[in-house]
Amino acid sequence: MRLAGLVATAVLAWCLLLQGPCGAADATLIAAAKREGRVVWYTTLIVNQAVRPLAKAFEQKYPGIEVRYSRADSGPTALKILNEARAARLQADVCDGNGTVPPLVRAGLVAAWLPPTAASYPGELKDPNEHWISTNLYFLTPGINTGLVPRDDAPRTLQDLLDPKWRGRIAWSNNPTAGAGTFVGTVLRRLGEEAGLAYLRALAKQRIVSVDATSRAVLDQVITGEYAIALDIFNHHAVLSAAKGAPVDWLKLEPVAAPIQVASLLKDAPHPNAGKLLLEFLTSEEGQRIFASVDYIPAMPGIAAKVPALKPDPGGFTADILPPEVLAQNTDRWMNIVKELFQ
Amino acid sequence: MLTSTQHGSESDAGAPAHVAGRSTSWRAADPTLVPVAVLALILAAMVVPPLLSLVQGSLRLTTSTGDLGDFTLDHYRRILTDRQFFQSLANSVVFSIGTAVLAIGTGGVVAWFVVRTSTPFRSLAYLSAIVSLGTPYILYVSAWLFLLGRSGPLNAVLMAVTGSPVPVFNVYSLAGMIIIEGFLWSPLAFLLLSAVFRSANADYEEAARMSGAGVLRTLTHVSLRMMLPALLAVAVLIVVRSLEAFEVPTLVGLPGGVKLMTTEIYLDTKKNVPPDLGYASAFSVVLLLLAAILLYFYSRLVRNAARFHTVTGRGYWPRPFELGRLRYLGDAFVLLNFLLVLVVPSFALLWLSLMPFSQAISLNGLKALTLENYDLVFHSAFYLDLVWKTWVMSAGAATLVMTVTVLSAWLAVRRRPGAFLLDQLATVPLVFPGIVLGVAMIQLFLAAPFPIYGTVLAFVVAFAIRYLPYGMRYASSGILQVHPELEEAAGVAGGSLPRTLRRIVIPLTRPAILSGWLFIFLVAARDVSLAVMLASPSAEPVAVAMFDLWGNGQGTELAAFGLVWSAMMAVAAGGLYAVARQVGASGFGA
Repeated sequence: MRLAGLVATAVLAWCLLLQGPCGAADATLIAAAKREGRVVWYTTLIVNQAVRPLAKAFEQKYPGIEVRYSRADSGPTALKILNEARAARLQADVCDGNGTVPPLVRAGLVAAWLPPTAASYPGELKDPNEHWISTNLYFLTPGINTGLVPRDDAPRTLQDLLDPKWRGRIAWSNNPTAGAGTFVGTVLRRLGEEAGLAYLRALAKQRIVSVDATSRAVLDQVITGEYAIALDIFNHHAVLSAAKGAPVDWLKLEPVAAPIQVASLLKDAPHPNAGKLLLEFLTSEEGQRIFASVDYIPAMPGIAAKVPALKPDPGGFTADILPPEVLAQNTDRWMNIVKELFQ
Repeated sequence: MLTSTQHGSESDAGAPAHVAGRSTSWRAADPTLVPVAVLALILAAMVVPPLLSLVQGSLRLTTSTGDLGDFTLDHYRRILTDRQFFQSLANSVVFSIGTAVLAIGTGGVVAWFVVRTSTPFRSLAYLSAIVSLGTPYILYVSAWLFLLGRSGPLNAVLMAVTGSPVPVFNVYSLAGMIIIEGFLWSPLAFLLLSAVFRSANADYEEAARMSGAGVLRTLTHVSLRMMLPALLAVAVLIVVRSLEAFEVPTLVGLPGGVKLMTTEIYLDTKKNVPPDLGYASAFSVVLLLLAAILLYFYSRLVRNAARFHTVTGRGYWPRPFELGRLRYLGDAFVLLNFLLVLVVPSFALLWLSLMPFSQAISLNGLKALTLENYDLVFHSAFYLDLVWKTWVMSAGAATLVMTVTVLSAWLAVRRRPGAFLLDQLATVPLVFPGIVLGVAMIQLFLAAPFPIYGTVLAFVVAFAIRYLPYGMRYASSGILQVHPELEEAAGVAGGSLPRTLRRIVIPLTRPAILSGWLFIFLVAARDVSLAVMLASPSAEPVAVAMFDLWGNGQGTELAAFGLVWSAMMAVAAGGLYAVARQVGASGFGA
């Protein structure tokens, strides 16, 4: 017992020596980052909502390092970085997204480096090859218009979605990584190929409406009453809108798809130290609390979401974590099934 | 009737012959050879590199790291062997022609009433065009879906009237798609055609009226026929653009199961990261050929351009039509257009912008009214910073395009040796998908010897390339109407070519130049697909920030920001337009 206490104290002391107080970053790293003076972040997060509060907090914590960001979806972000790298004029230090990283890893553009904060993350939220670490999570569930779907009537299982009364009243986004693609993928992963495909064929008879917009916009259409149910919407969006009085709720209908948002340091980053510092900040307890405060779901275990029930443990549901590689390897096939059966 | 009114048509039988009349060796004498060559070089430098990358992309596989792989004809094979090819083709043709008919039918008719009659609502028509062109595309489409959708006010009214328990009008249909796309292009038709009508000669119409023809007969037998090249030019433009359109086919068509040729291609570019652009590129090449064929027939049709010269050496300022009681019909039409193009969608946006979350229009919703969204917009300095950069980008692109295209269009319309090439070159970017052009531009800017990548200037260049075809059509339709006798008179009086252009051609085509400039200024500012690719930390246009909000479903905040932005664009555009016209008017009197 006493020995264990001693070891713990020694470890703590070692950590303090190594990291400085409260897990703050290494002093030499900070000094080197300050000499660089700037970090360029190619992000897929929403600027107004998340990027600016995070950048502001980082700049306050590390005065003298300016955060410059550029926002686009995963596809264009990856394209930009690939093209910059090909011309040997890489601008970005850090990038994020749920689809951005795999093609960059394949092209050999991502550094194998994770911040010390990664120690607090479970294996499924960081890459064993140290190419990425998760910054925040998404849980994709059905969302309903509570005016059109009485609580007792709400579907509880996949089978309930096959009830003829929902025919033509269910919509999903045709987005491969948060919408039709992930729904099909999680069904196949959970039920197995054969049973999964049989289920999807039955579901196709319900004439699911494909909407070419993000899941958030599909949920908005459910709120206005265009459709009764949306599949694979972000559960925190339903909570946000409901808090403003919208007639909407989300359902704990399993399997719940959980594509994860990850961030990476680029190998030839023009400001490598500032890039490391930013990645460390985003995944630190302080950074994670900012994610929570702006209604995102933090990845770090132990940091609760603003509405705790949105995360699996407090919420009482299980989630199928979909890391970037799983998405990259499968979305093509999943979307072909969507096209084949549903469009 | 028309042929009997030709003035000096021999001068248009062919430029070489005409010039040869003055000089034994026109090659040596023609002063336009050098400008043609210079302009051809400038245009080629603008359009050939992206064109090459388009053709190359269409013939190569894309590897998983986004590099170009092996040679393949697979992309073309896939287009032609699509099992629903003919169904999609038929849908595409109906969609494009329907869109062009609706856009010209509303925009063109309004333009005629505004320019050629004394309707008191003319300023409303300009306001509608400017505001709707300044409104971000996504916002405009979602406003229409909101209005015409199952839970929208149109169906609420129809259900109340017919007693039907289910929605009566299905917007997710070919008809719904044509309505939305048609109203999107109606302001373009209005701006282009009002410029044409304004500089048209009313003599023929008056002659027809005096010979006993009614208003309708005059319109069909004289006005419409004189406007034929301009109407066709607009129709070709809209048909090609809607054949290539991605947004309405996927946002409106896909939920209803209506497939167009572009639907699958668009979905394809969104399926993978990084997107595989080969299929989309191949489709663009096919469209490019189609557009070239359409333009070839168009140019044959207007070959004998003298038939359409309505601005001649004689006094030409058009006199308004006296419609008698019919004018009320005209007033009603202009008002209806104002309601449909501006008031109704703006009202939908206003409603959304005042709601805490997206909800249908209802008395109940009034209880939730809030100014929270406007509060967010006005306290976000971030957006205001983007505004001036966006203005510089789009004003720069508009100025660059109109400068190049006015000269090119004049040379092409006057059939100077080699000038047909200018028209062809300037039309090429019409079918570039934004993302394909974006990739080509990134590669070009990164390879440039000076640092242009990620700057405001990069946007000016890229937008200028994207909107070249529009500038060319505006400028051509304006110049088509100016009879060369005016320039010949200037030449006889000893005016040099630059002086003739400056004092004769440019003042006479000013309405078309201004309309073209305005159009490009407005649409460049709302471009998303190209802008997203070029955006960098130091140069980002407003539309990218808007797309961001849309992606996150902050629809109500976006509605507020969109309305504020449209108002700013309208004020900016209106102000510039008024100043330019003022300057133009005094210059014209000189």
